[in-house]
Amino acid sequence: MVPLKVLFGNESFRDGVDLDTQRFFDRLSQVSKLPTTSAPSPGDFAAVYERLSRECEGVISIHIGSQFSGTAEAARVGAQSVEGFPVRVIDSRSTTMTIAFLCLVAAQSASLEEAVQRVEERVPKQRIIALLDTLRYIEMGGRVNRAQAMIGTMLDLKPLLGVAAGEIKPLDRVRTRGRAIPRMIELLRDDYPLEYVAVVHAQAPEEAAGIAAEIGPELKQDGVMMVTGQIGAVLGTHTGPRALGFAYLKR
Amino acid sequence: MALLGSLNWLAAHQEEVNRLNVFPVPDGDTGTNMLLTLQSAVEDIKDSPATDVGRIARIAAHGSLMGARGNSGVILSQIFRGFAKAVEGKTELAPAEVAAAFEEAANAAYRAVLKPTEGTILTVAREAGRSATAAAVEPRATVTSVIKAAAEGARRAVEKTPSQLQILRDAGVVDAGGFGLQVMIEGMLRSFEESDVDLSKIAIRPSAQSALELPEEGWGYCTEFLIAGEGLDVEQIREQIAALGDSVMVVGEPELVKVHVHTDDPPRVIGVASRFGRLEKLNVGDMSTQHRRILEESQPNGSAATGAQKRANNVGIVAVVSGSGLVEILKGLGVDAIVEGGQTMNPSTGDLVAAVDGQPYDEVILLPNNKNVVLAAREVGKLSSKRVHLVETHTVPQGIAAVIAFNADKPAGDNAAAMKSAAGRVQTIEVTRAVRDTHSNGMRVKKGDLIALVNDRLDTSGSEYAEVVADALKKLGPEGYELVTVYRGAGAEDADVEALSASLKERFPGLAVEVQAGGQDHYPFIVSVE
Repeated sequence: MVPLKVLFGNESFRDGVDLDTQRFFDRLSQVSKLPTTSAPSPGDFAAVYERLSRECEGVISIHIGSQFSGTAEAARVGAQSVEGFPVRVIDSRSTTMTIAFLCLVAAQSASLEEAVQRVEERVPKQRIIALLDTLRYIEMGGRVNRAQAMIGTMLDLKPLLGVAAGEIKPLDRVRTRGRAIPRMIELLRDDYPLEYVAVVHAQAPEEAAGIAAEIGPELKQDGVMMVTGQIGAVLGTHTGPRALGFAYLKR
Repeated sequence: MALLGSLNWLAAHQEEVNRLNVFPVPDGDTGTNMLLTLQSAVEDIKDSPATDVGRIARIAAHGSLMGARGNSGVILSQIFRGFAKAVEGKTELAPAEVAAAFEEAANAAYRAVLKPTEGTILTVAREAGRSATAAAVEPRATVTSVIKAAAEGARRAVEKTPSQLQILRDAGVVDAGGFGLQVMIEGMLRSFEESDVDLSKIAIRPSAQSALELPEEGWGYCTEFLIAGEGLDVEQIREQIAALGDSVMVVGEPELVKVHVHTDDPPRVIGVASRFGRLEKLNVGDMSTQHRRILEESQPNGSAATGAQKRANNVGIVAVVSGSGLVEILKGLGVDAIVEGGQTMNPSTGDLVAAVDGQPYDEVILLPNNKNVVLAAREVGKLSSKRVHLVETHTVPQGIAAVIAFNADKPAGDNAAAMKSAAGRVQTIEVTRAVRDTHSNGMRVKKGDLIALVNDRLDTSGSEYAEVVADALKKLGPEGYELVTVYRGAGAEDADVEALSASLKERFPGLAVEVQAGGQDHYPFIVSVE
């Protein structure tokens, strides 16, 4: 009997030991492929919890933010039908790779209560910084009109966006990609100290590797866990190709 | 029921009153507003079993405050309030008490308005009160004779309003609100004496508003609501609302305050007001639309308004620049208004103030983009109604860098600081021909030579564009920079542009070189190095 299971989507993870961190992250970052529009039903969750109740003493069930999907709500209802078995549902308030870190934190906890406490502490500390290679996303978001997007493209403006508490905010805009990347790193450093960092990219592995090489040593010295990964297909359609970014937990 | 007489008589003259409205801005419905305000008072009285004058007047005051619409309606509600206060506790009125109530009504109306203007409903209320008081001391005074005198005083005051207000004189009309009050008192008199007042005195007047031009920026929004709460501080509310618009009227009691304001920013007014209490009966009307509708009725070919989205941080950007390409770039980057000017055409402080004040925002960031404009720009803050943040950009590239650093989610102060530092990271090379022999910065230059100014200082000279720009870049130290943007001016030939661009790319392989159409006069090339 294991003390707890970490559940995300339909996958459960026994602990962080038999998956190395990089693989763990790679797998979870692909979770953004899960359709957020069709949340699993409470019955689906009840069935999973029922099954897990025979394998372990409790489940921490971490989900896509309730502002984006009904998953957490369905899990909460499903959990009520499994009597006498502790299921703690966490609304991550997020959609992306930072959820992977929450799962990791939970998997490394000694008890269900400790896992819940440690994960809940970290929910408000999730951050994303993204460098987009095109203005298309923010043009569609209505932040700039077509003419402004044209001027921006003409001047090679690269928008830097931030996500905190599920809200997207423009952080800066910088001319040329070559200058935007150092600015993105500068913005990350403004948020130090960190606990976990993922350097993510959409079809730009060399640049991501370069960024990881630059910040790797200082993060290592600080005891920060860093991974690199690809931006999932769903998120990638929003950011466009060649997007770069950081998904991280502040300490 | 005297007020019912007022109501009927005002209803009969509503359109006539509407057509007279020219002050303070045409919002086209003074008659309607007064009528609806009065109607609200009358309905409340009908619903009440009260029979004594003191209580009826109080109900009328409350009903009119609840129903008050527009400037004139709010003033009217205060007239009722003053009247009610004067007759408090009384069951019937002697002639002198009626006169005193008219006087107190006028006083209350004056108190309600931040800056009382003569030649308006206020003057008419006061003159009605004075005439009533004079009549009340006559030996055979009756309530009817006092009201008759009030009506007569009101009529005389209305006739004089064009001599007191230029705007009425220009439009050739009397004051609408004043006339509305006159009609009401006449209606009251009719119900007392059941006899006609001299109808010939009320001529059909021409529509005043078609004589006025619609200013381009429009009139803003007529915003009205009630604030309900406890211990409301009317003075404090008035002060805060007054900062957000004009034609401000804030009246009421600690439990209920009526607000009327003409503002360009209704959401902000609502935001400020909602901090005091619960808002009720919120009504926002676009006065530009109202006025435009009036114009369109007289001129079938009127044009429609264009809507613009407002920025979340309530900060506008005004920049000085000339050259079609540069104007387009700055606008595309988010500048709200461009003041044409620059090196030789220096805009006046007045031009800048006008552009800044024309912004629908409380705070404005001003970018002079030329050192000859900086001084005028420094004066703008003292003269403008806005909070002005001057970012002292001395060149167009600095201005462009500054605008790029603007973030619509951040407050003005943070933006000004970020924009200043962004501007400081850009080096500017301006290329032109010397207009005379000169000696400057240790260099001797002949008329007709090509010269490059680096950050406004004469730096290099020569005979080829590529040569002077390359020399200037070398002095700046190209290893410290990544991006060179060339803004081509009106005087640059295609061949010059190609030669310059090719030469820079060849000589400085580490730099990205971009060419943009600037269209500026005097400088064939302005080069930004960052």
